[in-house]
Amino acid sequence: MRLMTTLLAAGAFCVGTGAYAQQDLDTLSSMKALGTAAFTFVEQGGAKADAIKKTLAGIKLPAGFKIDLYAIVPDARHIAVGPQGIVTFVGTRKTEVWAVTDRDKDRVADEVKNFAPSLAKSIPNGPCFSKDGFLYIAEQNRVLVYPAAEFFYESPDVVAVPVVKQGELVPVEEESFNHTARVCDVGPDGKLYVSLGQPFNVAPREKLDLYRQVGIGGIIRMNTDGSGREVYTYGVRNSVGQDFHPVTGELWWTDNQVDGMGDDIPPGEINRQTAAGQQFGHPWYGGGSVRTVEYKDDTPPEDIVMPVVETTAHAADLGMMFYSGNMFPAKYKNGIFSAQHGSWNRTTPVGANLMFTSVAEDGTATTEVFAEGWIDGNGEYLGRPVDVAQLRDGSIIVSDDLVGALYRISYAGN
Amino acid sequence: MRAFLLMVCGGVTLAAGAFAADPEAGRVLAGQCRTCHGLDGIARIPVAPNIAGEPEAWLAAQLTAFRDGAREHEMMTVVSRSLTDPAIADLAVFYSTRQTVAALPPGVSPEGAPALCVGCHGADGIAVIEDVPNLAGENTIYIETQIKAYRTGQRVNEVMQAIASDISDADLRAAATWYGNVTLTRVP
Repeated sequence: MRLMTTLLAAGAFCVGTGAYAQQDLDTLSSMKALGTAAFTFVEQGGAKADAIKKTLAGIKLPAGFKIDLYAIVPDARHIAVGPQGIVTFVGTRKTEVWAVTDRDKDRVADEVKNFAPSLAKSIPNGPCFSKDGFLYIAEQNRVLVYPAAEFFYESPDVVAVPVVKQGELVPVEEESFNHTARVCDVGPDGKLYVSLGQPFNVAPREKLDLYRQVGIGGIIRMNTDGSGREVYTYGVRNSVGQDFHPVTGELWWTDNQVDGMGDDIPPGEINRQTAAGQQFGHPWYGGGSVRTVEYKDDTPPEDIVMPVVETTAHAADLGMMFYSGNMFPAKYKNGIFSAQHGSWNRTTPVGANLMFTSVAEDGTATTEVFAEGWIDGNGEYLGRPVDVAQLRDGSIIVSDDLVGALYRISYAGN
Repeated sequence: MRAFLLMVCGGVTLAAGAFAADPEAGRVLAGQCRTCHGLDGIARIPVAPNIAGEPEAWLAAQLTAFRDGAREHEMMTVVSRSLTDPAIADLAVFYSTRQTVAALPPGVSPEGAPALCVGCHGADGIAVIEDVPNLAGENTIYIETQIKAYRTGQRVNEVMQAIASDISDADLRAAATWYGNVTLTRVP
């Protein structure tokens, strides 16, 4: 009953006009079925699964850990595990969000189908859950909330309500495809945090005022009904991974740094934010303390926050999460697992690893390779990790958008 | 004998364009393309288009436009910066000669193809006139993004800008989905 009241209240604040597929959204917001779409189911197993398992057999992990195929999920990007543990949602840089279900709880998914197929989506890369089961999905230029998604995902028509209406996340003329894989998280303050990558290699001067105002090249936060929007983070190039420290509540995030300055500079970044409104240095810095060519003669703003960890140049640090489970050894508790997608035009490719970062009490951090082996001897990618998430049993799942799969890493001891 | 073959091939290419394009040199250069476009020209990431079997002149024109700044993209602007005219010609001939076959989804009739597009891009997304790209199997969002870039003037082309300014968002999504649903396969 409480759920129904919440849903009706959620449905009531749906407004909006003229936006793309707005009629469908209006219909779904008022809890009427469209009845037009059927599910697409992704075949599990078969030759593809065998090929993936062969690759996974070559992945190196610390002693006691193992990696298995969890699900075949096309274009798998960022992951949101349902707080009830019923279903895991996986975003893409295309048009689908996939709902992954392990019905028999043997820690291998047995069903993968598209989520809310009656509602057209654009770059729905970033799903995230609130603790009470509201699913937010950050798309190219809107954010929708799907109340009680873990229960309603079994129907093709799912209640969906705009948090940020189509065309209002960024100005329509600033829409892009690259650097538009958004991620979101609901913070300990109950607010929704959404990353907004800036679409250039180095942000051009004439855009800086607008970007600062909107939060492009930053992280914005808002109340979960979309009100109270503000820019929380400045000076970001393109962040595609964030999480809140489980003890301090501070926001940590990865950033992808400037291309075209050479194979070994600038470094990638893991950043720690201790207060709202901090400035992290783009476009004056291309990554770490390396100045960009375009702004080398400019005086950067004061109080720029430098990264806590400088990572391998061009390795492309993407999704990250703090580990809070009990399955892994104690050293991993409250540390960061993060995915390196791998370089795209470096002479010899680097990255395509799962990294672990231990965080000291004073907030300093050190990063090491946790899982590797996705680049073969010919420099060809066998997989490109994107995001990491934790299942309720304390194992973690890793998404891979080249292979189109989720892997599960578990610990069984020595 | 080898020299003779090279002369013949070179002669044909020279007649068609400015350089004696060398597909083998193109294959080596394609090492810097493959993470996104695949060594076979079939895209590996959503933001990149398939380039296998695209018209040679089209590929060369796009690379030149990226290099010279007439067309901008966060990644392509960086990688094209160092390409010489001969390198562009080599890459264009290499990828244009990666042969492909396009197939509509089973049971789908070509008559349902978007009327605005078929005259140039074909029902299956393989170009039917010169100087236009194939759309077969491109990611829906990729196509949508390009049309929106024509709409806002970020990309410039007389025909496409006129179409982009008229088409509704819903029709655009429908057309992009049509071509996105085509399966493009490399022919070895």
